[in-house]
Amino acid sequence: MGEMADNSDSVNVQESAAQPTDEPSDLELVARVRQGHDEAFEELFNRHRRRVSLIASRFFRQHEQVEEVVQESFTKAYFALGDFSNAQEASFAAWLARIAFNSCYDELRRLKRRPESSLSNISEEESAWINEQLRAKGAGDDVETAAIARDLAGKLLSRLSPEDRMVLVMMDVEGLSVSEIAKINNWSSSKVKVRAHRARVSLRRVLERFL
Amino acid sequence: MAGKKRDNALDERLDRLGQEVVRASAANEAEADAVDAQPFLYARVRARIAAERERREEGERWMPLLGIVWRAVPAMAMVTVFAFVIFWSTSMSTRSAGNLSVESLLGTRDTGIEQAVFADSQPLASDDEVLATILNEDEQGVSR
Repeated sequence: MGEMADNSDSVNVQESAAQPTDEPSDLELVARVRQGHDEAFEELFNRHRRRVSLIASRFFRQHEQVEEVVQESFTKAYFALGDFSNAQEASFAAWLARIAFNSCYDELRRLKRRPESSLSNISEEESAWINEQLRAKGAGDDVETAAIARDLAGKLLSRLSPEDRMVLVMMDVEGLSVSEIAKINNWSSSKVKVRAHRARVSLRRVLERFL
Repeated sequence: MAGKKRDNALDERLDRLGQEVVRASAANEAEADAVDAQPFLYARVRARIAAERERREEGERWMPLLGIVWRAVPAMAMVTVFAFVIFWSTSMSTRSAGNLSVESLLGTRDTGIEQAVFADSQPLASDDEVLATILNEDEQGVSR
C-alpha cells in the first residue's frame, strides 16, 4: 500500500505533448471520420487507447472489465463524434476521457447490483494489514503486501456508491480539480465538494469496523 | 475536549488510510498495459460499432411502423364503435317496427292498399287460375 500513484501514469486530460507537424491533429482526424474515412478513427483509437485503458484500470481489477470499458468508450465516442465541438471542449483527449469516466461509472453501477464480494469475505491477513496501517506501523513494500493491499482496496471500495468511488479516484489518483471533476460528470462544483466529503466519511466508516 | 481531539486525530488517520486505499485500488497499470497490448482490440471495437449501428438502424425501421400503428389503432377503434352503435340502433328499430307474430306471417294480409293500387289494372287472378298457369308452364317446360 506504500506505493503512491506514479504521476507520470496519471491521466492527463489536457492535450498531450505536441504531435509532430507532419501528422494530422486530433481535430483533423475527427473531421475526416465525419467525412466517412474510418481509417482516421483507427488512428484516433491508436493514439488514445492507452489513456482510456488507464482510466478503466483505476476502477476495475479484472482484464475483462477493463477491456469492456475501453470498447464501450470508443464505441460511444464514434457515434458522438458528430456532437464533438472544439469550441466547447478543451481537446479531443479531454472529451474522450470524459466519455471513459462515464463508461466506468455506468459499469460500476451495473456491478453494484451484483457485488462480487462483501466485507465479510475479508481475510485475517487483510484485516491485520488494515490494523497495522491504522497503528501507523506501516507495511512492507514487498510484492505480496502490495497484492494484498490492492485486492483489499478493491473490496473496501466496492462498499461505496459508484458516485463516491468516482470522486475519490478522480481526486486522489488522477489529481483532478473540483472544476475538472464537475465538468466531467456534469455536476456543479458544490455537488463535487459535498460528494467528496460524503465519500470520505463513508470510507472512514468502512475502515472503522476494523478498529 | 480530550475526547474530541482524539476523535479528530483518529479521523485524520482514517482519512489518510482511506487515501492510501483509493490509490492502492487504482494501482492497476499492469491490467491497463495488458489490454492496451492486445493486437485485436481495434477489431473488437469495430465489431461493436457495427453491431451498434445495426441495432440503431433496426430501431429506425420500426419507428415509422410504430407511428402508423399508434395513429391507426384509435381510428380503427372509433370506426368499430360507430359500426357497433349503428348495428345496435338498427336492430333495435327493426324489432320495434315489425311484430313478427304468427298471424302476421300466416294470416290473411290486409290487401286493401293493393286493391286500391291495382283497381284500374286487369282484375286479380283467382288462386285456381294462378295454380293452373303455373302447372301449364311446368308442362311446357317438361315437353321442351
